[in-house]
Amino acid sequence: MAGWFARLTLNQKLALAAVALGAVALVAVPYPGSKVTLDAKELALVVGTEADHVEAPELAAWIIQSRADYRLVDLRSAAEFAQYHIPTAVNVPMNVLTDAGLGRQEKLVLYSEGGIHSAQAWMLLKAQGYKSVYMLKGGLDEWKDQVVFPVVADNPTPGERARDERLRSISAFFGGQPRSASAVAAGSTAMPGMAAAAAPALPKVAAPPTPAGGPKPAARKKKEGC
Amino acid sequence: MAMMAPFFKYGMFGDETSLVLAFLIGIGFGFFLERAGFGSARKLVSQFYLNDLAVFKVMFTAIVTAMLGVTYLGWLGWLDLSLVYLVPTYLAPQAVGGLILGVGFVIGGYCPGTSVAATATGRVDGLIYVLGIFAGMFAFAELYPLLKGFYLSGDGVGLTIPGTFGLPYGVVVFAVVLIAVGGFYGAGLLEKKFAATGE
Repeated sequence: MAGWFARLTLNQKLALAAVALGAVALVAVPYPGSKVTLDAKELALVVGTEADHVEAPELAAWIIQSRADYRLVDLRSAAEFAQYHIPTAVNVPMNVLTDAGLGRQEKLVLYSEGGIHSAQAWMLLKAQGYKSVYMLKGGLDEWKDQVVFPVVADNPTPGERARDERLRSISAFFGGQPRSASAVAAGSTAMPGMAAAAAPALPKVAAPPTPAGGPKPAARKKKEGC
Repeated sequence: MAMMAPFFKYGMFGDETSLVLAFLIGIGFGFFLERAGFGSARKLVSQFYLNDLAVFKVMFTAIVTAMLGVTYLGWLGWLDLSLVYLVPTYLAPQAVGGLILGVGFVIGGYCPGTSVAATATGRVDGLIYVLGIFAGMFAFAELYPLLKGFYLSGDGVGLTIPGTFGLPYGVVVFAVVLIAVGGFYGAGLLEKKFAATGE
């Protein structure tokens, strides 16, 4: 019994191992979440690790690279969509979400104004067996704050300069304009996220940098993706 | 809970670390290409004379090994396959690109990776091949406005065999393993046949 196996060359043994592993793989389900039942623990883990999020700068990079392995879904009404939407997005209002012909295998990136609708739609689609659904973190608000109207330093240090240049070119790509940190700080008594509400017409576009050495955009905890 | 891959997508390291890792993986890749004899155009082109199909075997072995690894890691829940980047599928342009690469391989005796490995070991033909690659990239970039329509024709969705043909993932895995093992056997026969008749 063991005789024939011992006579095999190493290559033949490896080939045999590969065939055996392949045969076992016949019953493999390598895409997790392909069960339609919801695994609460797994969902909680996904939510906890924010693995279901795509951050605004990351999405911007995907669009600039013309990546096409995902579909960007705008959940707002058709009127809001007509007014402004992220380039490449398709409009699928919440009420037609499950009849819109979105593929269960497709990678979907959802966004709404803030984050609530996309979170609800995320859960809905997960429960329907959609496999890879992601949310744009912070929705359109963060998209505007971080990509279209990013905050650049007034007196950039050499380290910040490269970052600001990048922010500027990304912002220009999406038809926006950076805001200076001091202007943002001055206007920060108003609700921050609301300032950038409408289409590319920002209330205060910074006057030439004031030498106030205003507070740095300290709260930028994000690690830029890709 | 177990660590989940892809590590980069889950933010376990940043851009800088990923570059360092890519560098190390690239060195490993080049090292094993060279050790397999693929730094020599003679070894590489002998597959076209059917008397040494090592390239075919090595590449197919790599495919099977990676496929089984990815399948089992996904099955065990250690790798989120839906986060793994799929190259967008542009069927017609990619078929043409494959043909061009194949013709270049036959003429030059290298493919892009092996030409770099050959250059690293000091082979002049490898170096000239690499220069040709850069000339080609330059020409492509200059002609891009003209080529863009064709370059991006097609759906551009990352097609997969299981998704396109509606087959269970595991069936495709098993089929590819069988095709590979059958191919290795056939390659062995071919090598015997063509080695016997001499060059």
